[in-house]
Amino acid sequence: MKFLIAIGSKEFSETTLELGMRVARAFKASVTIVYVGEKISAFSTSEVLMAQENLENWELDRQGVDVLEWAYNYLVENDYISSSAEKEGFIGDKLVQTDDDRCEVFLEGKHTQEVGLILRNGDIIQQLRDEVKRSEIDVTIIGASKKRRMIHDLIQYIDSSIFVVKNYDRKRTYKMVLAVNDAPNTKKAVKYGVRVAQAFDLEINALTISNTKEFRDNYKKASAWADTFLRRAGVKHSINLEYGKFIETINLIAGDDHIIVMGSSTRSPLTKFFTGSKPLNVCEKCNCPALIVK
Amino acid sequence: MLGLSNQALSNLLYWVTRKRWLIFAFAISLFLFYVPSPETLSPEGHRTLIIVVIAIILIVGEVIPLPAVAILILILEVILGIDTPNGVANSFMSDAVFFIMGSLMLAVAIVSQGLDKRLALGIIKMTGNKTWRIVFGFVSISAILSSFIGEHTVAAMMLPVALTLVRNTSTDQKVVHRLATLLLFSIAYGCAMGSIGTPSGGGRNVIMIGYFSEFGLGNISYLDWIKYAYPMLLLEIPIAVLILWMTFKPNQTILDSAVRKLKVNVTKAGKMTGNQVMAILIFVAVFLGWVFLSPYLGLGIIALIGVFLYLSFGLIEWKDINRNTNWGVIILFGAAISLGIQMKETGAAEWVANQSISIMSMLVDDIGFMRWFISVFLTGLLTNILSNAATVAVLGPVVLDMGGNPIILGLATSIASAFAYLTIVASPTCMIIHSSGLVKSSDYLKAGWKLFIMSMVLLFIISNFYWPYLS
Repeated sequence: MKFLIAIGSKEFSETTLELGMRVARAFKASVTIVYVGEKISAFSTSEVLMAQENLENWELDRQGVDVLEWAYNYLVENDYISSSAEKEGFIGDKLVQTDDDRCEVFLEGKHTQEVGLILRNGDIIQQLRDEVKRSEIDVTIIGASKKRRMIHDLIQYIDSSIFVVKNYDRKRTYKMVLAVNDAPNTKKAVKYGVRVAQAFDLEINALTISNTKEFRDNYKKASAWADTFLRRAGVKHSINLEYGKFIETINLIAGDDHIIVMGSSTRSPLTKFFTGSKPLNVCEKCNCPALIVK
Repeated sequence: MLGLSNQALSNLLYWVTRKRWLIFAFAISLFLFYVPSPETLSPEGHRTLIIVVIAIILIVGEVIPLPAVAILILILEVILGIDTPNGVANSFMSDAVFFIMGSLMLAVAIVSQGLDKRLALGIIKMTGNKTWRIVFGFVSISAILSSFIGEHTVAAMMLPVALTLVRNTSTDQKVVHRLATLLLFSIAYGCAMGSIGTPSGGGRNVIMIGYFSEFGLGNISYLDWIKYAYPMLLLEIPIAVLILWMTFKPNQTILDSAVRKLKVNVTKAGKMTGNQVMAILIFVAVFLGWVFLSPYLGLGIIALIGVFLYLSFGLIEWKDINRNTNWGVIILFGAAISLGIQMKETGAAEWVANQSISIMSMLVDDIGFMRWFISVFLTGLLTNILSNAATVAVLGPVVLDMGGNPIILGLATSIASAFAYLTIVASPTCMIIHSSGLVKSSDYLKAGWKLFIMSMVLLFIISNFYWPYLS
């Protein structure tokens, strides 16, 4: 599997990086870390490129390289990449321009297989979409944004599972809310949920929410299947059937001390665009990390 | 849905949301096409204005590549019957386009010589280690150099000097934020102010000179332009330093250790190489050519001679020029100039000028002030969201058709297009300093609005009380 972790700054990306790496480790996934810098006006692309190349003559890093270097050092210090290769290190001034708006940091030795460090410039959704497509990414991990449109666009247009790291506190003890229903992506979500739960030693609350008091047979079947799967996986869990509005109920139960895992919506993209979807609304309104499995 | 798979539909939706400005431009052009032409505007003029509207929307929105916008302008000029294919081709290529092409190539050639370390040493020798003197040096050198060699060339050379000083002061960005902002804006605003000084300071100046000739208003020589514009440049420097200092006053008033480290760094570069000497000599020759030979050869051809010499003496490789020259911008400016010429030929420029004056006359009685205000204020605003050369290419014909003294209005428009202080996208220099990651977008407004107003007032005084004596 391939994971993509998007980081923005040293100050705000540490929790995203930590959570992302722990999840990636649980999946034994290869990781690419990407920094997306601001879009450069088309009137200035060549001029900015020329100025940035000139900086290299002065041994000055272009914007974003310092953040990638910090991320790299963080991975080494926390043993996310092999310490035997530690000395082979980060060579920030060896950027390989792989595309007009994409550079790759050259890492020597074994580290090049363990982690990819990418510097991109432009519209963040476009850049993440391109990177996901180019590297065939399975899960994109990103910190929460205050912009409503950002979460919408991530879930609507990025062709991978999305893990939004929102309000994560490493000192807090987390549990997991795993949304279970009869949607096609539920089984995949349960499998992902198990991996994450194992990585963090979390207790899973497999939650089925019905908007009527009568639970459909399909919901009951899905819940029973999840119970069997979780038991076989040896994960501590509970099975719960709740009645109420989906978004409010799941967010109420999740609070700020759960990680939400749910499948993506199977509604038509057009319907999702105009009326939204459950995963989108959950991501917007929740106060904790949420993994939307596609 | 429509026989499309969910993936295809998702891709389509993505395209629509990203290209909404393109769709808006298409819709508005269709609407304007079917609106009857005003009585005082020819059908060709009407159609030309539709292209102007489309071009502005697409340039501001940046939804399609700039060369695509340029190509669309040329296609529409022919398809909408504004001119013949040969007529459009003739208006597309001019000395101004040669100049823009040549100056962008010269910039690549000059930056690649590594002269920035000499420049750094020169500045530091002059200014010493006091921060305010360094800021004064940065603004002055950036302004004076960019009046001759193009602002982004100077910004690319000055950027590492400023960043080295900042890094040598502290690696903690919080500690040096104000210092970094101050030094970087000294470069960006110094370059913007300097670009008005001579015709070679910016492509827009050459575009305006081209329009003077096209409109039969006579030729402005290189030295004539300096007489008009340089006093304003020199007056702006100390005022800009004061504004920048008051806005971003740093915690560090002396950069003793940072300056010493910079000196050590640049002295490692050793003595000036033969190539560097040759590069300077060629540029001096180009400059002398602009001053003395431009009436005969044109500014653009002289710039291209410089490029030819750099290439012939092996001072730069063609692949480097090819890689670092913004060809899209060159094509776009060619198309914008072509559109400007069509605006004049079809009477669209005159119609817009008359409409602007009649609207403004409801607010202000003084027609002279009104003309000045439209040309300068509108240009100043547009240049901050469009591009300074594109602004002059589109507004130039309108301004020259507004009546009054067209030379003064034309020069004022060209100079106002350098007031690109307010936004990141206003000019390549603003973008270059932003790419360092040390200045925030809100910083542009903090000092920018003060400089904008100062420049407007100064231009008003100079154009009303100094230029009339030169005409």
